[in-house]
Amino acid sequence: MIITSAKPFEEILEILKDEDDVFIIGCNVCAAKLKTGGEPEVLDMCRRLEEHGKHVVGWALPTAACSIRSYESLVEKNETIKEARCILVMGCGSGVSASASVVDLPVYGSNDTLSLGGSSGGKLLSNQCIMCGDCTVGEFGGLCPKSQCPKGLLNGPCGGAVAGKCEVNRENDCVWALIYERLKTINRLDLLYVIHAPKEHAFK
Amino acid sequence: MLFNFREKLNSSKFLVTAEISPPKGTNVSAPLEDASQLKGLADALNVTDNQCSIMHMSSLAFSKLLLDEGHEVIMQLTCRDRNRIGLQSDLLGAYALGIRNVCVMTGDFPSCGDHPGSKPVYDLDSVQLLELVRKLDEGTDLAGNGLDGGTSYCTGAVSGINPQDILQLIKLDKKVRCGADFIQTQAVYDVGMFEEFVESTVHLDAPILAGLIPLKSLRMAEYMNEHIPGIHVPDEIISRLKTASDPVEEGLSIASGTIKELMKLCRGVHIMPIGSHKNTPRLLSMTGISGD
Repeated sequence: MIITSAKPFEEILEILKDEDDVFIIGCNVCAAKLKTGGEPEVLDMCRRLEEHGKHVVGWALPTAACSIRSYESLVEKNETIKEARCILVMGCGSGVSASASVVDLPVYGSNDTLSLGGSSGGKLLSNQCIMCGDCTVGEFGGLCPKSQCPKGLLNGPCGGAVAGKCEVNRENDCVWALIYERLKTINRLDLLYVIHAPKEHAFK
Repeated sequence: MLFNFREKLNSSKFLVTAEISPPKGTNVSAPLEDASQLKGLADALNVTDNQCSIMHMSSLAFSKLLLDEGHEVIMQLTCRDRNRIGLQSDLLGAYALGIRNVCVMTGDFPSCGDHPGSKPVYDLDSVQLLELVRKLDEGTDLAGNGLDGGTSYCTGAVSGINPQDILQLIKLDKKVRCGADFIQTQAVYDVGMFEEFVESTVHLDAPILAGLIPLKSLRMAEYMNEHIPGIHVPDEIISRLKTASDPVEEGLSIASGTIKELMKLCRGVHIMPIGSHKNTPRLLSMTGISGD
């Protein structure tokens, strides 16, 4: 799941200050789950924009904003898009880019895209993966230090970690403390002694 | 006096290194003056690399200025601000300018400093950076390309001193396996704890220089305990500062006592005062260390 957070409404008004006749595209997958772009949020956005003097021509809720087939598929969902002069996408950054690839109008995003995460036991998990394209997560017991350590350290914690907490935010666990516990549980503490080479950052 | 830092590490001398920060700006007179007090007393000066993520003059440039004044320098190098290309080109440049010692570390996160929004790099970590220096020393770059003239660095690494912190000890083990020639530690106040740390690293073939930050006040000691990772100021020192009529003087007396104990436990001390080195020469003379 792509983790997003809704931008403050004032910021959206600022983004749209020179625009009108807005068509809104929601996302019925990740953003719907996170309440940043499902049907209730899209309807709420329509109402608030209208209250602030913006004309909303219509809206559509594709299954996933990041997998829009074509402009015609949007017209099929709601042909008022033909009257639009701009598009507001309530999905992740990928949803905004995918929409822009099929619509010849200015396209804006209403969310900030934070990380690739998920949820477990009802708890939201952020920064689970940075999509580096070179996965070695098994060597860390299934917890990725590249994504969960702010410094992405592969060979152990930095000197800023104290009592299992992170230097950057003392509220957060140091992922290396979690990796240690994981490796202990699965009886693979030997992996802690492996010297990991730098990652290759080729653009893929 | 003819010995360089590597030769001194191989001698039996109890070593003194001291930390100097480059200026925030281009006026180098104050830090050069600070360094001049240590001439003949310190075996080498560590030059910090944008310490605490606060932007300063580059460690490389200020190291060269100190070198020109006749100091032996240890250029600090963090992983925070440069990718592997930048790190290597600075290491080659520093070597060509005469810098022979480096000390590598991860580096504080940018959000700790005065440019909190800057992009954190950390292309390499400190273990990988040690491996990189070893490659340059062997005459190739990190990608395996040959160099027209390699380096021959004496390379240090840093460590916390908590003997219970298994992850830090494992990382230190990796650093030595990747070629660390010496270790400089976080500040020591609890000598008993440090002794345990030294015992737990006895299998590592790298001399240890214990960190030392002289205390100046009770508030500073309490701040250290609350905010600085890996530092533990014991109750006994806290109560000495509490009752002292002159806390700065008491702090120096505590530090000199610590150094005398450390002389039995490790190869040297690394002095990192908050502020200037005004009191460092006196501190060293209190411990019987005088210039060479």
